[in-house]
Amino acid sequence: MTNFAAWSVRAIQDGLAAKDFSAKEIAASSLENIAQTDKEIHAFLEVSENLAYEQAEKIDAAISEGKFAECGFLAGVPLAFKDNMNQVGTKTTCSSKMLANYQSAYSATCVEKALGAGAIPLGKLNMDEFAFGSSTETSFFGPTKNPWDTSRVPGGSSGGSAAAVASAQACVTLGSDTGGSIRQPASFCGVVGLKPSYGVVSRYGVVGFGSSLDQVGPLTKTVEDAALALNAISGFDARDCMSKDIQTDFTKNLDAGVSGMKIGIVPAFMEAPGLEREMKAKVLEAASNLEKLGATLVEIDLPHAQAAMSAYYVLGPCEAFSNLARFDAIRYGYCDPNHGDLGSQYEASRGKGFGMETCRRIMLGSYLLSAGVYDTYYYPAQQVRTLITSDYAQAFEKVSCILAPVTPTTAFRFGAISDPMQMYLSDMFTVSVNIAGNGALSLPVGLGADSNLPTGVQLISAQFKDENMLQVAAALESCYDVLRIAPPFAEGKVGA
Amino acid sequence: MKTLHEVLKDWEAVIGLEVHTELTTLNTKMFCGCKLEFGAAPNTHTCPVCLGLPGSLPVPNKAAIESIVLAGLATNCEIEKESMFYRKNYTYPDISSNFQITQGPVAFCMRGWMDLEVDGVAAKERVDLAEAREQGSYTTRIGITRIHMEEDAGKLNHVGSTDGRIAGATHSLVDYNRCSTPLIELVTEPDFRTPEEARLFMQKLRQIYLSLGISDCSMEEGSLRCDGNISLRRRGESRLGTKTELKNMNSFKNLHDGLVYEICRQAEVLEEGGIIYQETRHWDPTARHTIMMRLKETADDYRYFPEPNLTPFVLSDAFIEGIRTRLPELPDEKAKRFGTDFELSAYDVRHLVEHRSTSNFFEACIEAAGAGAGGAGAGTGDVGNVASAKPLAKPLANLIINDVAGYLNANDGIDLADTALTPARAVELVRLLVNETISSKQAKEVFAAILEEDKDPQVIVNERGMEQVSDTGAIEAIVEAVLAQNPDKVAQYRDGKTGLMGFFVGQCMKAMGGQGNPKIINELLAKKLG
Repeated sequence: MTNFAAWSVRAIQDGLAAKDFSAKEIAASSLENIAQTDKEIHAFLEVSENLAYEQAEKIDAAISEGKFAECGFLAGVPLAFKDNMNQVGTKTTCSSKMLANYQSAYSATCVEKALGAGAIPLGKLNMDEFAFGSSTETSFFGPTKNPWDTSRVPGGSSGGSAAAVASAQACVTLGSDTGGSIRQPASFCGVVGLKPSYGVVSRYGVVGFGSSLDQVGPLTKTVEDAALALNAISGFDARDCMSKDIQTDFTKNLDAGVSGMKIGIVPAFMEAPGLEREMKAKVLEAASNLEKLGATLVEIDLPHAQAAMSAYYVLGPCEAFSNLARFDAIRYGYCDPNHGDLGSQYEASRGKGFGMETCRRIMLGSYLLSAGVYDTYYYPAQQVRTLITSDYAQAFEKVSCILAPVTPTTAFRFGAISDPMQMYLSDMFTVSVNIAGNGALSLPVGLGADSNLPTGVQLISAQFKDENMLQVAAALESCYDVLRIAPPFAEGKVGA
Repeated sequence: MKTLHEVLKDWEAVIGLEVHTELTTLNTKMFCGCKLEFGAAPNTHTCPVCLGLPGSLPVPNKAAIESIVLAGLATNCEIEKESMFYRKNYTYPDISSNFQITQGPVAFCMRGWMDLEVDGVAAKERVDLAEAREQGSYTTRIGITRIHMEEDAGKLNHVGSTDGRIAGATHSLVDYNRCSTPLIELVTEPDFRTPEEARLFMQKLRQIYLSLGISDCSMEEGSLRCDGNISLRRRGESRLGTKTELKNMNSFKNLHDGLVYEICRQAEVLEEGGIIYQETRHWDPTARHTIMMRLKETADDYRYFPEPNLTPFVLSDAFIEGIRTRLPELPDEKAKRFGTDFELSAYDVRHLVEHRSTSNFFEACIEAAGAGAGGAGAGTGDVGNVASAKPLAKPLANLIINDVAGYLNANDGIDLADTALTPARAVELVRLLVNETISSKQAKEVFAAILEEDKDPQVIVNERGMEQVSDTGAIEAIVEAVLAQNPDKVAQYRDGKTGLMGFFVGQCMKAMGGQGNPKIINELLAKKLG
């Protein structure tokens, strides 16, 4: 059976429009493929077979009524959600024991929008617990494996989302990115990972980690698929006060090329300690390709970006501490049976319901916000945030897009990084973007010269100018002939 | 324990209030679209947002922001153009997200004030003020630190204990209907020096909020709640003493009595050489004492930080001025107008405007009186009407302050509009009194009869044959007869026992079946005896 999840969005939709196959066939093939591959990959925490077939029936009914054109940007596209997105009919576990049995009481806006655009929902994807992590190793349900090398991590926290695309389990997946959680796994798995500007996609219904940093975005095989998916899930939502009314067709500049465009390069990033040679080489190669396409490279300075990690590990844990306070075993969630009074119920349930990394972030946030400490950490972190935001704003007066590394290394082996501080460095090139609220994406640029594993480069846009980085990404993408699906899972030609 | 009066001779009480008001007149909650309704079945007005379900986000209620700006403008606050919501983090089952969204250092309303005119019994508590002792009244200004916006918590129902309290309960049920009810918290400066000042402030604040229509201000149902911070210092001392926080003062009387007790308790402790601990105390109105709830060894650490799901709130001048146009006539302004238009005393106007129902009734009476006097049209504030109604204003005020207010107090919760006393009847009653058809004693009887029998005053007077006899000739005959029957008493009176006047008046009244005009009887008796 053809695995349509390995196809591009447009290929799927052309085939549906031509009635070459039905949405039901898409659903069936995707589900069968997941059944075959997920024992090894473990990207899915839940497969929503019934929901997939229900939606496929709707699409097929629309096709038979000649109304396929009205079905939306993602009509018939097999898609899966990171498991921090509420979807009625599924559990939303955040890969935590705390929420192992939590049934979604309502659907997130991004879920509603994806389904409203006709996507076929395949299920919910593994992640680091509450999105705390860069390897999916903190999942209570066990890690997801990198389809390119199952002894390696897929990255995180949206590791399931990246692995599902890279193993052709889903055509499009949604992830969330607080400090790099879409872009880093996309790079590790060799797929496109798009983190839109803060406010482009509603966060309503996505379990909050760092509310001022969280943003939902798609992981796909191609830039065009990412732009189409963003068209589907973006837009103003009155339920998220940070949501912006951006009415942009994100595909509009995809064919415009980069001739005459100014692309920024940040020398400090290129010289950053820890950036592996093969990763640096990939960025330089991308820069050279952009020049060949007619773009001009401009060196820019982000003087405060070096403080981004410090600010991020203050702001993120502070917000997380407060956001996770609701998990108290009173209304829902893991409740330890051996408790006495209220205090011990909190202590036992939270102590046993949360994993180590989650506890670490809660403890950190609790400490950083406490009286006397707040002024030393939280307040300066907000000041750093203002400075970094201003750095980016000034940079984008000179350039329309910034090219940067996305991760310092390729995917590492399970258990290779046990020091949390070392793990946090995985996000050294991505967090400043969340701090400033810009858009950024990770574009796969082929295997690393040394590791022979997928690599990516990062393109960063000014806030609410996400179409610019998509324009550059589409042009740059044309320079590479890289596999987007890990060879063992590849079938057919992408974008056929 | 010493009395308050004794304590306040040596000690100065320093009191501040924190007043929570639920914006009950709004349709929906503070951060979601759930309906606001008191007394609905538990957990029927809830949604992912107010239940704190994972992934839900708050959206502020614009009408609530309008209400707090109204409250701020009505209490002379400065409205901050830019303020923010903060999270106050604490863990308790009644708060579904385990943080409360409130405001930070800058609230919507800052630096306001309210003037209190204190007189009568209330002024007597202020033993230190010469003005209060000599004139029996004084004015004091209470600073308002801030009014900020926040959300209420849900309600815990403790099951298994005898009195519904947590002590002895086997388990607790949580009702989230109240969770995220819009709440405004007003914090005063520590400017009160007596419990009466605190009570007057609360009464006046309640009156202002009611006239703004932002809350039903029910202390009983908890939509208006107040905590007090109390400390004592020796007269002449400038340093503040250690304060205690007093809770559960759910009526004006409890507020006053709780503060009195706490002041006296602290004085006793201090005079015995003891120490006041910073603690939260609970007023028990039945046992009539305060009990320690919680010792505050260190300040609670609520880990405040800006709510990351909401942007700073920017209020434009146009928005603020738009709200200003919605300000109704406030009690102070109304009192001033009543005083000017009707030449009523400060005491009268203060009590007339103390309750919206009585001040509205007074105005309706004035209108009815003006219309009845053939004034042009029915519009309130019409100059002709006001002028023609003016002679009735004082007796109307007396009727309302004494009889009507007394009746309303005795029949708790009754709405004046639901009684048989219409403004027209009140005016008719007062006219009968003014033109001396009935005596003031009879007027009280007629007042009671109107409410009981739902009849017009004139009908009641006719039915009961109450017409007062003001015929001087007829009264003179009676007076002469009474004096003739009591020669010994007349002699005693003339010897200086003038207290017997009451006896003669009583005898005349008795002879006239209570219908004699007491003024004329008095005059004639004085003439004949003199």
